[in-house]
Amino acid sequence: MSGGSAAQRVLQGQALPVENFAQWRDAARDLLMHGVAPEQVTWGAPQRDDLLAGDLFSSAPPPAAPSHNVPTPPASAQDAPTRPAPHIPRSFMEMLQSAACCRVPDRWAFLYRVIWRWTQGEHDVQSPADEDGARLNGMVKAVRREEHDMHAYIRFRERPIEAGAPRFVAWYEPRHDVLPQVAEHFARRMGKVSWMIATPEASVLWDGQTLHETGPLAHNAQELEDDGEALWLTYYRSIFNPARLNAGIMHQHITSDRWKHLPEAKIVPHMIGEASRGARKVGQYEAVGQRKGTTIPIAPEDAQPERHQHPSKLDECRRCELYQFATQAVPGEGPKHAQIMLVGEQPGDQEDLAGHPFVGPAGQLLDQVCEAAGLDRSTVYVTNAVKHFKWEPRGKRRLHKTPGQREIEACHYWYEKELASVKPTVIVALGATALKSVLGTATVTLRDSLGKPMRHDGRWVVTTYHPSYVLRVPGEDAKHEAFSIMVQGLKLARELLDRPPEESSEPGLL
Amino acid sequence: MELKDKLEILADAAKYDASCASSGAPKRDSVDKDGLGATTGMGICHSYTPDGRCVSLLKILLTNFCVYDCQYCVNRRSSNVPRARFSVDEVVKLTQDFYLRNYIDGLFLSSGIIQSSDYTMEQLVEVARRLREEHQFRGYIHLKTIPDADPRLIELAGKYADRLSVNIELPTQDSVTRLAPEKNVHTIKLAMGSIRTKLDEKDDHPKAPVFAPAGQSTQMIVGADASDDHTILSTSQTLYGSYKLKRVYYSAFSPIPQSPSSVPSAPPPLLREHRLYQADFLMRGYGFTAGEIMPEAGNLALDIDPKLAWALANRAHFPLDLNRADEAMIARVPGIGLRSAKRLIDLRRLRRIRWEDLSRLRCSLKKLAPFVVTADYKPAQGMASSEHLRRNMADAPQQMNLWPELQAA
Repeated sequence: MSGGSAAQRVLQGQALPVENFAQWRDAARDLLMHGVAPEQVTWGAPQRDDLLAGDLFSSAPPPAAPSHNVPTPPASAQDAPTRPAPHIPRSFMEMLQSAACCRVPDRWAFLYRVIWRWTQGEHDVQSPADEDGARLNGMVKAVRREEHDMHAYIRFRERPIEAGAPRFVAWYEPRHDVLPQVAEHFARRMGKVSWMIATPEASVLWDGQTLHETGPLAHNAQELEDDGEALWLTYYRSIFNPARLNAGIMHQHITSDRWKHLPEAKIVPHMIGEASRGARKVGQYEAVGQRKGTTIPIAPEDAQPERHQHPSKLDECRRCELYQFATQAVPGEGPKHAQIMLVGEQPGDQEDLAGHPFVGPAGQLLDQVCEAAGLDRSTVYVTNAVKHFKWEPRGKRRLHKTPGQREIEACHYWYEKELASVKPTVIVALGATALKSVLGTATVTLRDSLGKPMRHDGRWVVTTYHPSYVLRVPGEDAKHEAFSIMVQGLKLARELLDRPPEESSEPGLL
Repeated sequence: MELKDKLEILADAAKYDASCASSGAPKRDSVDKDGLGATTGMGICHSYTPDGRCVSLLKILLTNFCVYDCQYCVNRRSSNVPRARFSVDEVVKLTQDFYLRNYIDGLFLSSGIIQSSDYTMEQLVEVARRLREEHQFRGYIHLKTIPDADPRLIELAGKYADRLSVNIELPTQDSVTRLAPEKNVHTIKLAMGSIRTKLDEKDDHPKAPVFAPAGQSTQMIVGADASDDHTILSTSQTLYGSYKLKRVYYSAFSPIPQSPSSVPSAPPPLLREHRLYQADFLMRGYGFTAGEIMPEAGNLALDIDPKLAWALANRAHFPLDLNRADEAMIARVPGIGLRSAKRLIDLRRLRRIRWEDLSRLRCSLKKLAPFVVTADYKPAQGMASSEHLRRNMADAPQQMNLWPELQAA
């Protein structure tokens, strides 16, 4: 800017000509440092010779400079800044920069009033609940909306290959000064293909590598012929469902002044007319509906897909409601005639997806316990009292929920089948739910039977914690203790293999 | 058959799929690169059709030949519709041509089942592979996943596509069995589960190969069976919780040419679909559970939105002091949205909330008045009954109109 600093010029009674945000920001910083109030400043339109021959695209405004970068002002006492350079948060600065693209006549004066109030400590000036803040937010919103509309509603037409670059041209009439940022959006999108966007104020050319500003252009882009457009109109017509005609919503989204840029605009009235005349009774577009159709002659049984995973009978179980919410039933796994059978509570989130028992965090802990107890997990049969995952929603996750007695009873059917086929010598009940299922009673407690082998239906039953309990219990010491109780439980199960329950002399609990 | 004819048939056949999002992809651009396309993470709607729905993707079927006989579907094998099939190259070229002219942000490709699930899925994957690998296309790709396809094909699809979806189609197992005899809820859930497992792997190991970065979604058809909104929302909740879906789309059943007698001959009110979307957003955005929105069997009210219905049924939480309540609870006040709730919390750090602030934030004052307390406002003592409030706040009943669309236009 010529003629001295912004503050000097204001004090001399001159208007401040401003062309772009960078100029405004420099002037505003100087004014703020001199404590010049908004009422004292007249922001004028720039004189032509005042304009920096600025390249719209290559001179992106530098970030707000901290105070020590400000050039020293002239040494006259009157010009000395009276205040330190203001510190403006980057997000607020970006907001101001965005609002500056809004074409309102008083934009520079308004932005200065906003930043002045902010430096006076009125930080709610950026809130939409403040009167200036509401306007500021409104301007930002209008600019964003215009950027969005331009991203969405610019239509490129292809030029014949012999016409050379640019290969694609578009005409658009933006409401606000958003061409630079919109051009960058399209530069990212189009790769090495050249294009030009012409607007009444300025035009921009992408040569495949760089953006160039060119002058305003006549909107000859609109007169170009492009065969590709016919296919687009075909698609636009066909993807519309006349049975759902709702033109109001369409017009709400694309306001009337946008339609002139859209080739589809010319077929819309016809589509609406057709739909309201009866095409809406059935969804199908007339042009398709009138063609000759064909049914596919194939027998229903041949159309059945070959399911890769043959659902077992268990997976078809409807004995309780849990199947509705689970992915699949998780059957037990292990050697056909394992001597030890571990019974857990129910599959968890991971097990439900994988279809295998004890594969999640609890499964990993079980592996550690087995190892510590000298028990090879591949030699034991591992299953759950309830085969479907029971859960409740917690935010976007599934939170394990303890199965109820009814669900345990319903699933007992499957447990008995497994028991009959595996015929284990020792059953280890992991946790209270498993214990209830194994003993077939709801009155038994984990505490009373922990670590004490029992005889039940001619088999040994050992009770210990569920691995999830070890994971969950608070405190390192408690975790340690629970872990070692589990290890002892599995060791006990191993020892009991050599003590057939029938030959035991003592009744009941040992 | 000419390309234009195929497009006519195969876009027409795809229009019943409600999904349209093009958001959620990682940032990509083509500056100084061969090929084409960028994604910003935010999707863009490129146009709107007279049904009020947006066009953001080239949404087509690879073919509408289909060996399945899903009763609600226009392409079922017993349906007498014109059939067509795109070649892989045709879809690839069409996508790029439309993208260059800025008609679309990418491709949403689905297909009828031909030959076998695996064969169909292979074809879908091949389109995506060719776009990505041979043409360096960086726009958005959404592939419909065939649930019975080999999990290895689903894995491959996730390598090329931004989003995968498996349609649950109907809210209950019984309805699927009855109306889509060749489909199977079990395999649909397993396919969703395998997608979630891959997504989890990617979350746990950031260096794992890319897999469907925009996540998975599904679609449920509303009004083709007798399921009520209570059932539908509870199914959605199960799907969100179990498979970490980004979206459940609800598609009001459209009667199709020569509808079989197993499906209704009239569509459900579109307002029902709208209310389901509102309720769905309450679950995704606001943390409501399905049980809070619909505590018992039945359908959502059509005359008031689900949030207002919940507030009227839960007057004990209100009036809420906006200067003390937490953000999540403020967002539950009818007439105050997520963004306004956040702005009120921000403002509260500077000063106390007053009635005028609500008006400047453009909250719906009529709706929120009975439910809030501010520094200078308290709802009148002896507050009106919920029934009375409901009568006042219900959407105005509309006079039946012979040509509503002409009026709207």
